Amino acid sequence: MPVNQTGMDLGNFLSYLSQRQEVISSNIANADTPGYKTRDVEMPISFSAEFQEARATVVGAPGLVTRNDGNNVSIDREARLLAENTLKFNVAAQSLRAQLKNLRSAIEEGRAS
Amino acid sequence: MNVSLSSIVPIPVPAVPGFGASSSGGDFASAVSSAMNQVENAQQTAQTATMNLLAHGQGDVHTVALATQHAELSLELFQQVRNKFVSAYQEIMKMPM
Amino acid sequence: MSLFSAISISASGMEAQRSRAELITENLANADTTRTPEGGPYKRKDAVFTATPVSYSFADQLSMVSGQSDGVAMSDVAVDDSDPERRYMPGHPDADAEGYVAFPKINTAEEMVDLLSASRSYQANVAAFTAVKDMIARSIDLFR
Repeated sequence: MPVNQTGMDLGNFLSYLSQRQEVISSNIANADTPGYKTRDVEMPISFSAEFQEARATVVGAPGLVTRNDGNNVSIDREARLLAENTLKFNVAAQSLRAQLKNLRSAIEEGRAS
Repeated sequence: MNVSLSSIVPIPVPAVPGFGASSSGGDFASAVSSAMNQVENAQQTAQTATMNLLAHGQGDVHTVALATQHAELSLELFQQVRNKFVSAYQEIMKMPM
Repeated sequence: MSLFSAISISASGMEAQRSRAELITENLANADTTRTPEGGPYKRKDAVFTATPVSYSFADQLSMVSGQSDGVAMSDVAVDDSDPERRYMPGHPDADAEGYVAFPKINTAEEMVDLLSASRSYQANVAAFTAVKDMIARSIDLFR
């Protein structure tokens, strides 16, 4: 695998998680805003190179109850997603580090002493 | 014993990652310059990504980190392969004719 | 870009909840204020939140890149202009001709519950803020 392609999938996954995190933070900040509806981002079909630079589509979230002031943010849902997102981000970032480390080892292993 | 120089067949360049598979089978010089271009491009991409993030707030930290690592590793790989070729060349030159 | 934007969004949430809490404590402090410089009793104030786009660090003035999500801002303070509560207290300095004093329409229990809600929302924003800070730190780790 060419050097420049290493970790692209994980990098794109991290981008998706970052965009989702932005939306989660927005939901939490607007938990008391009248008329605000919960937002989410669509998960892309694949994380290979074509995904790069495309911003995932912002969509609504199904199955939420709307209160009297028009707001449908469920703070429990957002708290759960926040925890999940953080964990996934950690795993992906660590995996990426390991991949890059392996690549570096492979390149440097052949070094003439 | 007659050994003519023409019977020494040039060694085909192996498809080394980062050296551009398109130049397999032949021209050593074009393989090297293709590889150098790739290294140059990687450096440029990393540079642009870094400045975009720091000066204009565009892009993510992990994207810049990945681009920077790619540039570094491309260069590292290029240097290692170059070193191999140089030492192979030196081995050949040591051979008594 | 997304993570830095998320930080600003959470910061806006914290600020909005803090402003909301300030209004609530003002209501609580003035629950019995019968006399104001504008005349009449204190009027209850309510925070009005609106979803607002936020700018974030690193973005320069020219590009003004914003994320694709909104933060929140307290866009307005709604003042309760309805008729005040009238209690029969003749002899009170602010009593009118019939002996009634106009008091603010503030239910202390309601205000306390509201304050609790603002505090919880504030904490939720802090949690998001901290989580994103951690993610950015891990991204920076990728450089090594």
